[in-house]
Amino acid sequence: MQIEILARPAASVAKLTLGAGERVTCEVGAMVAMSTGIQVQTSTRSKGAGGIWAGVKRVFAGENFFLNEFTAQHGSQTLIIGPSLSGDIVHHVLRAGSLIVQGSSWLASGPEIGIDATFQGLGKALFSGESVFWVKCSGHGDVLLSSFGAIYEIEVDGTHVVDTGHIVAFEDTLQFKVSKLGDSWIQSFLSGEGLVCHFSGRGRLYCQSHNPPSFGRALGPDLYPR
Amino acid sequence: MSLDFEILQRPDFAIVRVRLAQGEKIFAEPSVMASMDPALTLRAGLKGGLIGSMSRAIAGESLILNTFSADRGPGELMLAPGAAGEVIHHRLRGGHIYLQRGAYLAHTEGVDVSAKWGGARGFFSGQGLILLRASGTGDVFFSTYGAVLELNVSDGLIVDTGYIAAFEETLQYEVTVLPGLSLGSKAKSFFFGGEGLVARFSGQGKVWVQTRTVNPFLSWIYPYRPVKQRD
Repeated sequence: MQIEILARPAASVAKLTLGAGERVTCEVGAMVAMSTGIQVQTSTRSKGAGGIWAGVKRVFAGENFFLNEFTAQHGSQTLIIGPSLSGDIVHHVLRAGSLIVQGSSWLASGPEIGIDATFQGLGKALFSGESVFWVKCSGHGDVLLSSFGAIYEIEVDGTHVVDTGHIVAFEDTLQFKVSKLGDSWIQSFLSGEGLVCHFSGRGRLYCQSHNPPSFGRALGPDLYPR
Repeated sequence: MSLDFEILQRPDFAIVRVRLAQGEKIFAEPSVMASMDPALTLRAGLKGGLIGSMSRAIAGESLILNTFSADRGPGELMLAPGAAGEVIHHRLRGGHIYLQRGAYLAHTEGVDVSAKWGGARGFFSGQGLILLRASGTGDVFFSTYGAVLELNVSDGLIVDTGYIAAFEETLQYEVTVLPGLSLGSKAKSFFFGGEGLVARFSGQGKVWVQTRTVNPFLSWIYPYRPVKQRD
């Protein structure tokens, strides 16, 4: 599978070129355009993930219950996919271990990648404003992630702080806990940063420049009441 | 005579700068004028008469078409679409192109823009595959939400109806569901596939595909709206 990311960075889409028999699993609704020699199948499961329960868990992770699998019937078939909001796409090649992805950032992955929801702790979810479940991608192959705004990566070796709502994905060699920023609670709240995620370990971390809930809260009060 | 124009600030905030020579005219969708030389004259009118205007209204375009003319001398104007995205210029040479509702921005003399139904299936898709037809000889400008991909069709192409900005008349299309998600064999897939309806293009020609659509953004922003007070 060849992957090319077009129209970067504000309205990015991924152009995938599939060989005969090649398969890719995508977020429901991600298809923009495709060649006529591709078959689509909707399922609740992906490799290594068990049926309905995996689907239910994905809902809690902010993903759809269903996944769409695109399979090329002939060679050199094109599939163009994109996320629903403004922003960029990043291609991560998974070789070993797992990648923990914030629910709405998972866009697509190769056939040898298992997709499951992973529990990141109730306390973390309540205090971080992130989901209880995250999407865990494991195996080897390509993973496409989408971000709200631009995307940037940090190679963490030691510790790093990320504001809640800005995490896209991280390698599972990293752990995070939610806590105040700095020494004092008062300082942490006055700074407007509130609670932040403290990462530790060694691995790659993807962050997004914009935080969807912040944007929603900025626009919301000016909208007509529902 | 060819129109003197330039599309600036591409790709995210595209805007068209048009330089009209003495006696030249351009027709544009209302409220797309961002700035203009005061030497130009603006006239609002029912272009194409009442019937033409009504058919445009049905297709989601406005009844009024603005005419900018350089009667008193040459001048420059800037035309900008409502949403952030791309602007595309297409030169018509006697043929026609179809534009998705809302994509139309402006055209020059010699071009006729009218409504053409997408057919009953397109109309009932809920995706609003309602089309305008631009025909004649001249320049037409249209806009997209997000970026635009200009795709050449030779061996068929399937596009989600919500992402179609425009296509050439030389293409045939059929509104359907994704291959594999047919209603008869897999009802589950049809209802839960979530990809909505697609247009299956065949023949030879060009399709302009936008990379985002407005509806998912609207659904996303909905929960942030204030809740109406009830007493």
